[in-house]
Amino acid sequence: MIKRLFTSNDPFRPSVSTLIGTYAVLGFWTLVVLFPLYWLFVTSFKTPADVNNGPLYIPFVDFQPTLETWNDLLIVQQNFVLRPYINTFISAGISAFLALVIGAAASYALSRFEYRPKPAVIFMFILCVGLAALLVSQGLHWSLAVFLLLANTIGRRFKGSMGNNDIAFWLISQRMLPPVATIIPIYIIFQQLSLLNTHAGMILVYVAVHLPLVIWFMRDYFSGIPLELEESAFIDGASRYTVLWRIVLPLSLPGLIATFLIVLIFAWNEYTFALFLTGAETQTMPLLVAAQNATRGPQWWNISVLVTLMVVPLLAMAFVLERYIAKGILVGAVKG
Amino acid sequence: MKKLSVLVLLAVLLTLFGAFGVVSAQNQYEGVVIDVLTFTGPQIAEPLQRHAPAFQEATGATVNVITVPFADLYQTILTDQATGTNSYEAFVFAPQWMGDYVSGGYLLDLSDKVGASEELAWDDVGQFFREFSATYQGATYTLPLDGDFHMVYYRIDVLEELGMTPPTTWDEYLAIAEAANGMDMNGDGEGDFGSCIAKKRAEQGYWWIYSIAAPFIQTQGTSQGAFFDTETMNPLTNNAAFIRALEIYKATNAFGPADELNIGVGDTRGLWTAGRCALTVDWGDIGSLAVSEGSNVNGLTGAVITPGSDMVLDRATGELVACDEMTCPNAINGINHAPYAAFGGWSGGISAAIDPTVQQAAFDYFAYVSAPAQSNVDVTIGATGFNPYRISQFEDLAPWVAGGFTEAAAENYLGAIQASLNSPNMVLDLRVPFNQRYQQVVLDEVLSRFLADELTAEEAAAEIEVRWNEITDELGRDAQLAAYTATLGITGGN
Amino acid sequence: MAAASELAAQNKSHSTDTRPLGERIGSWLDAASPSVLLMPTVLVILLLSIFPLIASLYSALARFQLQQGGFAITFVGFANFNKLLFGSEARKTLGRIGELPAWSWIVLAAFALVMLYFLYQHINRNRVGAFSSIGKTIGFGMGVFWRVLTGIIATFFVFMLVGGLYSDRGIPGTIAVTLIFVFGSVALQYTIGLILALLLTQDIPGKRFFRIIFLLPMMITPVGIGFLFRMLTNTTVGPLGPVWQAAGLAQFSMLEDGGGARLAIIIGDVWQWVPFSFIILLAALEGVSRETIEAARVDGANRWQLFRFIIVPEIVPVSTTVILIRLIETFKIIDVPNALTGGGPGTATESLTLHAFNNWRAIDYGLSAAISYILLFVVTYVAMVFVNIVRRRVLEAFA
Repeated sequence: MIKRLFTSNDPFRPSVSTLIGTYAVLGFWTLVVLFPLYWLFVTSFKTPADVNNGPLYIPFVDFQPTLETWNDLLIVQQNFVLRPYINTFISAGISAFLALVIGAAASYALSRFEYRPKPAVIFMFILCVGLAALLVSQGLHWSLAVFLLLANTIGRRFKGSMGNNDIAFWLISQRMLPPVATIIPIYIIFQQLSLLNTHAGMILVYVAVHLPLVIWFMRDYFSGIPLELEESAFIDGASRYTVLWRIVLPLSLPGLIATFLIVLIFAWNEYTFALFLTGAETQTMPLLVAAQNATRGPQWWNISVLVTLMVVPLLAMAFVLERYIAKGILVGAVKG
Repeated sequence: MKKLSVLVLLAVLLTLFGAFGVVSAQNQYEGVVIDVLTFTGPQIAEPLQRHAPAFQEATGATVNVITVPFADLYQTILTDQATGTNSYEAFVFAPQWMGDYVSGGYLLDLSDKVGASEELAWDDVGQFFREFSATYQGATYTLPLDGDFHMVYYRIDVLEELGMTPPTTWDEYLAIAEAANGMDMNGDGEGDFGSCIAKKRAEQGYWWIYSIAAPFIQTQGTSQGAFFDTETMNPLTNNAAFIRALEIYKATNAFGPADELNIGVGDTRGLWTAGRCALTVDWGDIGSLAVSEGSNVNGLTGAVITPGSDMVLDRATGELVACDEMTCPNAINGINHAPYAAFGGWSGGISAAIDPTVQQAAFDYFAYVSAPAQSNVDVTIGATGFNPYRISQFEDLAPWVAGGFTEAAAENYLGAIQASLNSPNMVLDLRVPFNQRYQQVVLDEVLSRFLADELTAEEAAAEIEVRWNEITDELGRDAQLAAYTATLGITGGN
Repeated sequence: MAAASELAAQNKSHSTDTRPLGERIGSWLDAASPSVLLMPTVLVILLLSIFPLIASLYSALARFQLQQGGFAITFVGFANFNKLLFGSEARKTLGRIGELPAWSWIVLAAFALVMLYFLYQHINRNRVGAFSSIGKTIGFGMGVFWRVLTGIIATFFVFMLVGGLYSDRGIPGTIAVTLIFVFGSVALQYTIGLILALLLTQDIPGKRFFRIIFLLPMMITPVGIGFLFRMLTNTTVGPLGPVWQAAGLAQFSMLEDGGGARLAIIIGDVWQWVPFSFIILLAALEGVSRETIEAARVDGANRWQLFRFIIVPEIVPVSTTVILIRLIETFKIIDVPNALTGGGPGTATESLTLHAFNNWRAIDYGLSAAISYILLFVVTYVAMVFVNIVRRRVLEAFA
């Protein structure tokens, strides 16, 4: 074992020359990553005058750092910053968790069962007809109704060739349209359902827009898990849910964690939906960051403080969850 | 920081003092809640918030200031109102957007209220703001809280060193910029810039071109208009005057920072207070920013009405002609000036779709914020975005000196503002419905392409004309023409 | 999906089934598990996608107008698309293409030949019995049709890119700019992410430190990234100004020139999204069993063979997913160009989404939706080509 650790072609223990090369690359990228962040961080301790008086690099040497901006945002304007901060935790945290639960289930289903989505097509057809009737009754153009009916007739032609991959592609295609195209209709739906300016509304939207991501990621992990393990469990009389909970999910833990982290980050930083669907009580942090560019141009010091505040919880989360991603090695060993 | 706190204290005291004036009305609005929507940032939201407790004390009405990012305010108000969501009782917005809100029927007509309010002192508000900025098609819809128009700022010390006087024409502006460019103006041993103008795309850049073009285009007073022909609604862009303005606009590139095409107004203000520019064109904000903490140019900042021209557009031929009594009736020393009320000044408007009592309460709140007792202090605080718009704000220098101005600087600054405001040839910003499509979409894009050398000046002028005409035709030429002439106060026949 | 029939079956057998109720529900739930697991997703997405999709399609064919007390939507047919593709916005959408240099014709011709080769391959392969039945004829015809269409569109994209970038006075339109962002950025993100992930699967000191540091850029809100890069590229107060000056480029800003500005945006986007490929690929690499590698090593596999036959098959499926998702997401790129350059200088960095956004902000919902649908068309095309051709072939080749 000891000897093996020092042989050069062991993929886990690199030789000295490989090690130097590795550190050169990693060090370079660390610099690329950290320099902009360093600049952001020191800017949060500058006064507007420090920023305007040209680039000042090192605190205490080039300029006297001050907590003025931090004080202003965290103490003086407390309510303007803390509320969005808490809101961001609520809508991003809950929606990421729900998206993971719902999405992982769907994803497992898509990788284990064959679907022939005929009932779905019929369901969509009914839904479309109903919507078309609703739209026409609301005074919209009749050609829309005709289009909808035609669209479904065409849609049904292809039913024979639809399968799991088509469902998956349909799901991911939900992310293809930019939010600006769909936001006004969603606004109107939310207005009708009284979901504007509520956490529930934000969570619903974030779950919906992030589900496709969860499903696509988890599909790959699930299909990598050998079926034999599950089959032997079924022989022992376990139900589908027990197998999913006891065998499949633990085996795909690294994937689940990575996916959760990514979805959390997406929801945490989302801007366009938050802009339209939130009000004073539910506003989130990205709005506050964007708002720092007002009539007087970007307030660099405020942006720096707010972005730092936004990154800290995610960083802490990554710090904790990184262990689980690392544990994936051990889990992987089991499946081999 | 100390100065600011003294000022805030002063403001609070004055506010309390003012509150006694309306003590008779105490608790008349008990339980009324007014949600006021404006943009995030201290400029407007801070004074609105600061005055809310005193107003509540006096009347019982609760005022909540709700903010969205500046870039999305126009649309947020429009979406809220157009869909009938009605989440807000009142808005503080740029009156340029009024055309859209009024044509949607979202704003309450305040014509009867403004005269009736003693506290508001309506006659004290500058004539331009009363008659043009706050009104649309003859009716008053907003209460001005702020006065916005462009002026030219110059470095007193740099011009002295060069032996030059503040620019009265754009050619002089370019001459000063050229002479000053490369001089060390902040004492760090490095060359600084002759002229700093915000030219970034999608960031207010499109207002500067009209500050340059206006004196070439508009000569007969505000109601002549600088954007369209008042008979045909044909844009006044594809002519010798606008092309000349484009050339001047581009010529200033040579005397600015290397990345001038990508700097916004926040950057130019930072450069100004850092002492790195000899000239800039900006709203009133620079005057109070120059005296605030951290500024290197306190006492060195002079202001003057935007430069003019001795050649003006002959609208019949599209060519430039010399100024004479006929062509430039408002000229000063043979130079036609046309200060541009870009954006128009933040103003309060009230939702038409709410209960009349709440409407009255919202009106009283705006009247309270706008009343001389409050606003005459607010306009001297650099941190607010409020610039002078009342006659009484020019008469008393005391608040300005308390705000950090030297007496000479205050006189110089107020003199430039007064010269602009008194000009009968002030240019009203474009306020037809959907003006954002004309300016923010088409004008902004074409200017940026022109600055990036994609288009020549002639091509740019022609492109603006074609695309503005296209928008006008899409929206209905007659309706747009009627709206345009109405905003200019030409009501006859419409 | 099978739920309904299961339920019916369960009901029928109701009288004869003597098992306790709990157990019966349990077994029914178990049998219905395909529906139970998938339905929540389908319902959530249907609720929030069907109506917006239809409504935005309708608004792409309409014009939004303000009216006393509300708004009106007028149907205008294809006027918005017409304006974007043939009217006053065509220069912006498709670009300005001048006199093409000689070499670009050779590139275009070569590309078209490749497309023709694919068509030839298809015809040649299915030649025998292509018309033996109606079904086969239709299948064959569809195959030819899709290949011709794909080839024409792809050649047109190449033409727009080459014409916009290299022709005389040429300017890429928003479609071409978006394609440049997408291909430039996704290629770099994936490559850098893969290299970093591979390096960090080694057992080296400081591994955790690097892993967490490398994730950082992704955690910053995209709007913040735009501002951050605007701060960095500012020549007067940004940290890099003195660096340019030292290099003798005092009067230089990379944002003044179209190509430089596009590069700056690609750098910003790559900086932000390398962590995405990195973390997904890292998780996939960690899933590769050590035992398998050990076993292969014992069998005498060298490093390259280990990589090619153990690691590559394991990460190829995840890689294609990462690339597909990044393709789709990068097509919607807006925050960085919006905050960094606002689309300028000129329209050099205006992506399709920014183009839509600019009109959307001016309440031109019709035009904005039409641009979104052009984008949808381009993304769907690229994603379909990727899924049906690249992903399938790569999976077949490696898995």
